[in-house]
Formats: sequence, structure tokens, C-alpha cells
Amino acid sequence: MTFRRSTFYQVALIFSAAIFTVSSRGDQLTPDEVKFFEAKIRPVLIRECYGCHSNKSGNARGGLRLDTKELTHIGGSSGAAVVPGDLEESLLYNAIVHEDFVMPPKRKLSQEVIDDFRRWIEMGAPDPRVTEIAEIRSSITDEDIGSARENFWAYKHPVDPQSPSVEHSAWPKGKIDHFILAKLEASSLEPAGDAEAYKVLRRLCFDLVGLPPTPEQIDYFRKKWDEDPDQAIALVVDRLLEKDQFGERWGRHWLDVVRYAESTGREVNMTYPHAWRYRDYVIDSFNDDKPFNEFVQEQIAGDLMPVESDEEWAEHLVATTFLAMGPKNVNEQNRVQFAADVADEQIDATTRVFLGASVACARCHDHKFDAIPQTDYYALAGVFRNMTTYFGNPPSEFGAFSTAQRKRDSSLILLPIDDPNPFDKRYSQTELANLRQELIDTQRNAAEVRRQARESGNQQDAIRNRIRTANQLSELSGKLAVVDQNGNPRSYCMGVQETSAPANAKLLVRGEIDQAAQVVERGFPQVLCSTPVKIDPDKSGRLELARWIGSDQNPLTARVMANRVWQHMIGAGIVTSTENFGVTGQAPSHPQLLDYLAVRLVNSGWSIKRLVREIATSRVYRIKSTFNERHHEYDPDNALIWRANPRRLDAESIRDSMLVISGEIDFDRPRGSEVAKAGYTRVQGGVLGNPRDAAKKAMEMAGEKVRQQMRERFAGGRGTRRPIGGSRFGPGRRSVGRGQVDRQTRSVIETSMREVARKVTNQLDMEDAKFRSVYLPIVRDEEPRSLEVFDFADASAITGTRESSNTANQALYMMNNPFVIQQSQAFARRVARDSARVKDQVEYAFILAYGRPPTSGERSATAAFVHGFAPSMGYRNGGGEVLSALCQSLFASAEFRFVD
Amino acid sequence: MYSRRQLLQSVSAGFGYLAFAGITAAEEQAIANPLAPKAPHFPARAKRVIFLCMQGGPSHVDTFDYKPQLTKDHGKRGKYGGSLLKSPWAFRQRGESGLWISDLFPEVAGQADELTLIRSMQCDQPVHPGAMTQMHTGTAQFIRPSLGAWTLYGLGTENDSLPGFVSLSPPSGSSRNYGSSFLPAIYGGAKIGRGGRAARFARSPIGESVPDIKNSKLSKAQQRKQLNYIQSLNKEKLRRERHQPGVEGVIESYELAFRMQDAMPELMDTSNETQQTLALYGADGGSTENFGKQCLLARRFVEAGVRFVEVTHGNWDQHVNLSTDHQARAEACDKPIAGLLQDLKQRDMLKDTLVIWGGEFGRTPAAQGGDGRNHNNKGYTTWMAGGGVKGGFSYGATDEHGYEAVEDKCHIHDWHATILHLLGLDHEQLTYRYAGRDFRLTDVHGDVMTDILA
Repeated sequence: MTFRRSTFYQVALIFSAAIFTVSSRGDQLTPDEVKFFEAKIRPVLIRECYGCHSNKSGNARGGLRLDTKELTHIGGSSGAAVVPGDLEESLLYNAIVHEDFVMPPKRKLSQEVIDDFRRWIEMGAPDPRVTEIAEIRSSITDEDIGSARENFWAYKHPVDPQSPSVEHSAWPKGKIDHFILAKLEASSLEPAGDAEAYKVLRRLCFDLVGLPPTPEQIDYFRKKWDEDPDQAIALVVDRLLEKDQFGERWGRHWLDVVRYAESTGREVNMTYPHAWRYRDYVIDSFNDDKPFNEFVQEQIAGDLMPVESDEEWAEHLVATTFLAMGPKNVNEQNRVQFAADVADEQIDATTRVFLGASVACARCHDHKFDAIPQTDYYALAGVFRNMTTYFGNPPSEFGAFSTAQRKRDSSLILLPIDDPNPFDKRYSQTELANLRQELIDTQRNAAEVRRQARESGNQQDAIRNRIRTANQLSELSGKLAVVDQNGNPRSYCMGVQETSAPANAKLLVRGEIDQAAQVVERGFPQVLCSTPVKIDPDKSGRLELARWIGSDQNPLTARVMANRVWQHMIGAGIVTSTENFGVTGQAPSHPQLLDYLAVRLVNSGWSIKRLVREIATSRVYRIKSTFNERHHEYDPDNALIWRANPRRLDAESIRDSMLVISGEIDFDRPRGSEVAKAGYTRVQGGVLGNPRDAAKKAMEMAGEKVRQQMRERFAGGRGTRRPIGGSRFGPGRRSVGRGQVDRQTRSVIETSMREVARKVTNQLDMEDAKFRSVYLPIVRDEEPRSLEVFDFADASAITGTRESSNTANQALYMMNNPFVIQQSQAFARRVARDSARVKDQVEYAFILAYGRPPTSGERSATAAFVHGFAPSMGYRNGGGEVLSALCQSLFASAEFRFVD
Repeated sequence: MYSRRQLLQSVSAGFGYLAFAGITAAEEQAIANPLAPKAPHFPARAKRVIFLCMQGGPSHVDTFDYKPQLTKDHGKRGKYGGSLLKSPWAFRQRGESGLWISDLFPEVAGQADELTLIRSMQCDQPVHPGAMTQMHTGTAQFIRPSLGAWTLYGLGTENDSLPGFVSLSPPSGSSRNYGSSFLPAIYGGAKIGRGGRAARFARSPIGESVPDIKNSKLSKAQQRKQLNYIQSLNKEKLRRERHQPGVEGVIESYELAFRMQDAMPELMDTSNETQQTLALYGADGGSTENFGKQCLLARRFVEAGVRFVEVTHGNWDQHVNLSTDHQARAEACDKPIAGLLQDLKQRDMLKDTLVIWGGEFGRTPAAQGGDGRNHNNKGYTTWMAGGGVKGGFSYGATDEHGYEAVEDKCHIHDWHATILHLLGLDHEQLTYRYAGRDFRLTDVHGDVMTDILA
């Protein structure tokens, strides 16, 4: 067993651009430093700055206060006033030399004073001014915490409950059913009867792999079902659990919960080109049935876990992408604020995803309801602040370049294994040399621009030029950074790494970064810890946190996950607030069943597949969805599960089903994603990269298309201008006037333009892709239409439960979307290949789409449609158009969209 | 089996139930459309609503609630700690009515004589998601129908080719705030554009005004034939399965979508608006362009007969940088809102269009970090204009600094009751039977603020 942390850490440091903790000087100042500050710096600050920027004067222009060391480092709305040792980043210096800011206003300090400030910042800005530390006392007492821990159901350790006795003892197939039936009987309700075989199979297939069963599978299953329903189900479940599509289905559930996305979101939406590695890691973990507790630990502290091979090491690093891929406001000016927000997001995600607990509420005040004092939040913040989060792009040998919009830079983690993408950029030595030269020239140019601006005083031009050169530098540096000295691509991932010396965090009054109070020792929320957890003073505590969350003894982890699994199989959670198991969440409908499932999960070695199997083979899983008036009056939400919940398919299943039924689906996993291909760039208006470039490209493509169509029109006809597509009267029979040609030309141009524009602006929709939906690019706020329209999880939010709506927007999508039309045509071709007789075609289409032949009502409706519709289409394309419209109607119908 | 009355009660008021109630197509046309206009309980003052939702909590003490004592006590300790912060903006008396409004909203202030300021608002939720949801649905605890959905359920809509309730650019993840909950799905708000980008559709010259609004292959008549087939399949399903609100929702969504194909592109196309109108809304460029376009769209929607339009203007949550960021938020919406009021007036629509402005709560009189304010849900201001409310009128009051409503308190339930009243609906009569119980927007609360009625 090897510990690779320390060697790795060195590698990571080389590529680290931004370390979130402010690296200020310790408290031990030398007498000389104090003297320098008192003689040269403090008097100037008081005389020149405090009037507008201090607590004492009560003025904080631009949010900036300079009268304590901390406030000076935090700075104002434009950023830190002083970054020790870094003149470039210190806006105070920038302002006194009149670079971007001009301070004091209207007047420049003497060169001597400016030099003093330069020296002071370069020597690390020693600053003896101490801030008085307030001590915030919690309103939540130890007794409050103790009593919540002992009395609230979710904080008690789950115990394997006795199965309750039931009257109708023939009904239950296993222990799960006892819990369900006992509750129903207690309310004088009875469960619905068993559903028909094909419906049960449809449920199993959609729930386990997210795809409809094939006609052959349905036939096979029905035969087995007639022999023995229990065996039939067990057999199918085992087969489905072995398929790679299981991980794609259940991995996507997990990706919802962990707010998986391939960009930062917010105003400046920067891509995460390496996030897809985490996506694949999740899918593989579910397919391998990786013990869930290990899966949990890897995501929180994979970087700190011992490994036996580089491959395993790489896998663990990729797992920590969980902490790095949250939404981020990269144009936040203030680095302290940014660091606090990043850690807050990580705390929120970790506690809600794994523990169903909202700890982040305690950032600003005691969380009264759940007995989480504010100090507990900062105890946990201490754990998370001792790491660097990698989510951006590595710096090149020339350094990192931030831009006007992208203030907060970050690097990436170099993987210990070589795993380049086939589409990664490679450069020859000459190209590399040219890139370097270009970068040097741009730097020189940038310096020149600055100098000119200072001399000419033309601020507008100066700003514009500086923004432009900064963007150029950033782009060039980005290109250089992702290849090695030979121009070959390096393999990176997002994730986290520990910083060297762990430190505790300070409590912030009302969560405000400039209102620091006492230091809080690192630790975990007390109310969730039945026995206190010790953190080694030399360690951050993150590994301990991971082990504690992923432990058999944690009361919440297994419950929260068992509840998620139940929800995806049954349609509603036992606790419906899947991310809130606290006092403000919903109480469990079947507390004993939840405990039973949690204990089963732990005792099976945290096997998700075994839990899925147990639920799938239960009696309650196979009951009908039949409505019952009396039961509905008593239990309108079906909380007691007197019938199966009719469920609308989720977005992925709708799209994937269309692809399976049309026969067009490509089950191979695509490498990377569209975002990985585009690299590190900003997303604007639905376009990866610069919209202007995209528009230019689109114009060129459209132009080429028009030219080609014109060539086709004018070819062949011996100079005759033939209308496009031929006319009903055939070419040449009708003379075509000049005006008509112009109109036709215009229409050709317009149609081509529209098509191309659609392709470019809808680049992220990927209407032509045939792979499974889980591999579509997930850019925050730009989710693909095929997913977004059917209530896809908001990629910026932790989503354990998706909404399920029926909207006109969905109707428009099914009626008019090019992907749906494409798939309907392919579906029709498949049906036509199978049989030439319309009657057989209809039969086959229904079996493919619904898993059963048409009912008599559907058969006559279909006949009526074919007779009415075909003449209106002029029997074009040998009935192909009619069949396409029919197939599209099946996709569009409610039956296709619901699993009953 | 069920009696017809039971069916009507249990199977929602959607028209899906007709599929198995054996009603002919002609009868269906006559009575089935759940969006058909319905008579109010009593004569309505307002026929339609435009709700300008200021998400994030704009500060009342910096906009519409003048607190001279706060200015005097600047720097002193506030009653709940922190030091009191005077408004960075000057207040002035406006119009003939002399309403006090700050310099943050100079253009809206120019319309002071049209406004009823409600300066005594209260809600129960001190955090954004909860307060937003309560403002829209009356409760933050359960998922319930939103104000717009109740309105549509009560009154139907004047244009059945458009959704009767439209939410322009709602924040992502906020669908419960414009959802129908247990009311039939057709009464839920239709989201147009996401995350502040409704204007993007209006802008794109070659793109589509609404995604997938046009079929590239079929004529209108052909598509209608196809749609009839889809609906017959859906009704078959409903006949088989009886209680299926989801299937009813699908059936209704197709009918609306089919009609929207003609109506929406026309509505979203603002190219026939004059330069003068665009300028009135600030929709011709600059920081007001985005919200200006959305306000203009809101007017076009209500003009076309849409019952309830909500427009969201977000990011009012200034815990820090109050002086710069509140200024920027206000600048982006001040002119558009004033433009909307003027435009409605000149089209003689303001008299029966209720315009509502407000956030989920206000902000504390005490400072947060020198240049910011915290959430304040016990006292804040919203306003209404047109549609049967008094002009140049101020209702209720907060304490001397603006912490709590002390006079004529208006809880969010009272606010809802009053809005329904203006629309001719009695909030106690507007009920929906679900799972054996009658539900109301105002639960068991709510008093109409009769003082503000014109």
C-alpha cells in the first residue's frame, strides 16, 4: 500500500494557480517591520484614506475599509486592497500609481510614498493592527443538541425492525410487503391486484435500465410469467442488473443529486471540460456495484485515501470532482468572498447529498430547528477550507491570466495516468515555438498599450485595449498549458487537494467575511455525531469526515440512500423531502420500512444492486395502478401505496426510448463530451466559445450550402432555370419569370440560413446525436432542449426529486422538433422493413412503442387516421409519410410517456 | 361505480373526464374548454393582472417607505442590533398626491398619482425560497396552486390560443411558484424563456420566437388530422384508466399547443411596435432593454387576452453593495415600469388592468456591513396600480424606522384576498375540492383591504 499524497502534492503545487486561503504573514512581526509600518504606512492611511474608507469615519466607499489588517486584505467591491507580496493584485497600489483606479482622487502621492507602499507590499505587508475578536455564543445549548440526538427519529441509529403481522398473509412476498400491507390494513385499505405481465416488464426495464423492453423480451417474459411470476421477475432483474445500461440509468439519478454539470453557470458561464470524467466514474461505479460507502468516501476525500495503483489513484482523484463542479461566480471580484462561497457550496452539497441535512443554513445564524449551532458550521468550514479546489485551466509557463470577466482563476489536477482524448490538440515544435512567440509579443504589446494609455490619458481606449489583450493572453496561455514540452496533450481532472498546514476557521458574524469572530475548532455537526469524532491536529479532518459519513454507524447515510432507491423504484420516497431528513423535512410514511431498507443496505456490504433487486422482487412493486375512489378519498397522495403510482417517463427515457424504438440508438459510450471538445471557454447564448466566431462560421456554412443548391438548380437544365425539387408539371413545361426566380432564390437562402443558424445556436441540443441521453452536454442554464422540456433536473441545484409536468411546450416539442421527426421517420422505416401490409405495420408499431398490440379502439382510431390522412399527403413516398406521421403520433401519445 | 357528480368532483375540472362521460364532440366544444371565460362572483374592477415580481427583496426604506426618523437616527443602534442606516437616496413628494418616493425610482415616481402604496406588508418567511413561494401560493409548507393559477381557474381566459397564465423568465427551479399543483394542469403558468432570457426570443431575427413552434413537414390541416389521432389515443387511455390527471394534462397541452403555433410567433414579434413605443419602455437599448422588452411583451400578452402575466426582475438581495447594486437594479426596471403604466393608460387599459409590484420581503433599516441590508419580512412595501385601486394613495404604515408593520397590517393572505376581490372573485368562495376537502388560496385567512378600492 503506497501513500502518494506527498509526491502528488508537489505536482499539484506546480500547477496550482490560485490558493484560496489568503497567505498573509503570521502574527510575529519583527520590530523593524512594525517600525516601517508605523512610520511609513499608517500615517498615510490615516491622512489619505480613512476619510472615505474606514469604520471610524463610517464611510465605506466601494465597500472598502482600510482600518484593520483583515479588512484591508478583504478589500471592497473591486477586490483585495492588499495582497501580501503581490503588487499586481494589490488594488491599493494600483490606485496610488493611477493605473486602473485613481487614488487619492484628483492628486497623486509623492513618488517616495508610493515607493514605501511598494516595498511594504513586497515584504509581505506586515501589519500590526489587530481586529478585536467578538465571541459569538450559541443560543443552542448542549442539552438541546443532546435531546435532539436522542429523540428525533432520523438521528437515532436504525435498527432492524420485527416484521409486523398481517391478516392477508398470502399477499407478501418478502419483508418489505409486510410493512406495506400492515399499514394498509390498519387503515382498512387493500392493495391493488397484480399488474399484467407486460406492464411489470415495462416497469422493470424503465426502472433498471431506463429503456423499453423489446418485443422479443416481452414474449419471453410472458411465457416465464405464466409459469411462475416470481421466477420470471427474478430472472429479468438479474439480467438487467448485469447490463451497462444499469449504470447509465442509476448514474444519472446520482448526477441529479450531485448537481453534475460541465460549466460554472452564473453570469460568466465557463466550461468544465474535464467534468465528464466524473460522469463516467459515477456510471462505472454503479455498474461495478461499488460498495456505496466507498463511493461516498471517494467523492469527499478520494485524494487522501490510500491506493495500490496509479489507475486507482486516478479514479479517486476524479471522484473528488464532486467537490469541484458546483456552480461558481467566477467574476466575483473579492477572492475572500469567493473562497467562502466555494466552501459553503461544498458544505451544502456534502451534507444534503449524503446526510439529508441542511447544515449550510447555519452559515449566518444558529439553525434552531435542527439544533445546528453556527459554530458547528464553522467547525465544518475549517475542514473544507484546508483544500484547494481545481476547476479552471492550468497556467502555462507564462503564468495564469485572468480576464475582465473571469476574475477567479483556478488550475486542474494532472492525472497520474496518461489518458488523452483523441480530439485533444497536439502541436509540433514549430507550432509550439510560434505560440510562445505570439504570447511574448502580446505581452509586450500589452505593456505598450498600458504605457500609451498612461501618457495619452484616453481611458476608454485603454480599457478596451486592456480587455482585448488580456483575453488574447488568456487564450494563448490556455492553449500552451494543456500540452507538455513536446506538444502532446496532458490528462487532467477537476478535484481537490489539501493545503499544507491545516488551520481552523473563524466564525463569521451573520456569515459576513469582514465580521470575523472567534476561531472554531474543526469538527462535525454535533447533533449528527452520537460519539464525538476526533480530528488529528495535523490533518484537515476531511478524510475523517469521509469515513464518518461513509460508516456503518452513521444514522443518516444509509437511510438517505435507501430512500432514494425506493423513490426511483416506487415513484415517491418514504421521506418525500429526499434532501431534508431534518425537523423541517417530511416525516417518513413508513419509518420501520425505511429502517429495514437502511439496515439491509449496510448489511449487504452497501450493495445498491441488491437493494434494487429486493424492491423489484417485492409484491408491492408489481401491483396495478388502478384508481379507487374510496382509497383516493382517504389517501389522495397514495402515501400508503394502495396502488402503483402512474409515472411519467423522465426526459432521458423519453429520448432514449425513441432511439431504441426507431432502431437508431448507439449504445457505445462517446468519449468525453461536446464540452470537452470545445475546451476551456465561455458559453454565451447557447454557443461554446465566441458567438461572433460561431456566427461567422454559420454564415460561411450557409453561403456554401446556398451555392451548392444554386449549382444543383442550374446544372442539368441546359440553361433552363428549374424550380427546386421539380414542379408537378416537370421541368421546362412552364416558363419561369424573373421575379419568381428571385423569390425562390431568396427562399433558398432564407431556409438555409435558418437551418444553419439553428445548428449553431442549438449546438448544445445535439439533435443529430444517437447516443444515450446521459452523455449529452450539460452546460448550466443551457441544458439540451430534449431534456429541459421534460423537467430535467436544474443542473445548478441539488435535485433528489424531479418535477413531472405536462405542458404545451412539451406538446410543441413532440409535434415539431426535428429530432422527434427524424426518429419518427426512422421508426416508420423500421416498421416498413418488417412488413408490407399496413395492418401488420400498425400492429408492429404498437408493440414496439407500447409493448402491446393496439386495443380495438386504438385500431379503429388508427384506421380512421390512415384513411383520412393519406389522401391529404397525396400518397407521397409510397405511404412513408403516413407511416411516419403515425409513428410520431405514437411517440406523442400519453401512453408512450407514462409507465403505469 | 360513480355518479356523474362524484366524477366531476374527483376527476378535476379538466375536460379529460368527458372522454368517458360519453359526451359528443359538439357538446365538448361548447362546454369542455376549461379556459373559456367564466363570470366572476361579482362585477370585477380588474380584468387582468400584470405582476412585476421583484425577486430578492427590494428595500422598502430606500424606495417607497419614507422614514425621516431613520435618517435622524443614522448610526444609532437598531432595535434588533446593528446600526441604523439612513437611505443613500433622497425622498421627495411626487405628483398631485404628494406621495413620498425616493430617487431610486424617478420614472415610476412620475406615475405616483396612479399608485396605491401598501406600506404595511407582512409575510411569515424570512428566507427567499419560502417567502417567494408564500407570495405566490399563500404557503411555503406545501405545494399549492399559485395566485395566477387560481385566477385562471376562477375566470378562464379571453384568448384560448394562448396560455391564460404566462410567466416570463422565471428563475430556474421556481416552477412551484407558477404551478397549478392540484388544480388541472392547464391552469399552471406557461414559462416563456428561462433565467431572464425571454427577451432573447424576441430578439432573434432568424430563429424561432418560441422553440419548435412550427412544423417543417405538415400543413396546418394535416397536422390537425394527426393531432386528432393523438388525442383519440389519449382519450382511449383515459377511458381505460379513469382517474389520470397526467393524461388529462397531456390532452389539454396538445390543444393549447396547436393553437399557440399561430398565436405565439405573432405575439412575440415586436417589429410592428413603433420606435416611440420601444423608447417609452426603454426597450431600444441600454440597461433597460431586457426588462423593457419583457414589460412590452407583458402588455402584448394582456392586450391579446391573457389573464395573468408575471414578469420577474431579480437580484435585489443586497446584503452588500446596496448603494451601487440597488441603484443598478432600479435603473434597469424604473423606465420600463413607468413606460408600461403610461402605455396601458394611453390604450385605455389601465382602468381594468391591475399592475402589481413587489418582492418577497423588504430589507432591514439596520445596516449589514456598512453598505447592505438584511431580509425584513415583518414590514415592507408593495404597490398596485390601475384595475380598481385608488391612485396617489398610501395604505398602512411601518414603525418609525421601518422594521414592522404597525398600522393596517397587510399579511400576504390579505394581499391575495384583495387581488382576487379586484378581479371579482370572493376568496372564500373560490374553492377547489381535492381529496375530499375544499381548498382556498387564502386557507382560512385573508381580509380584503377595502380602503384601497377606488
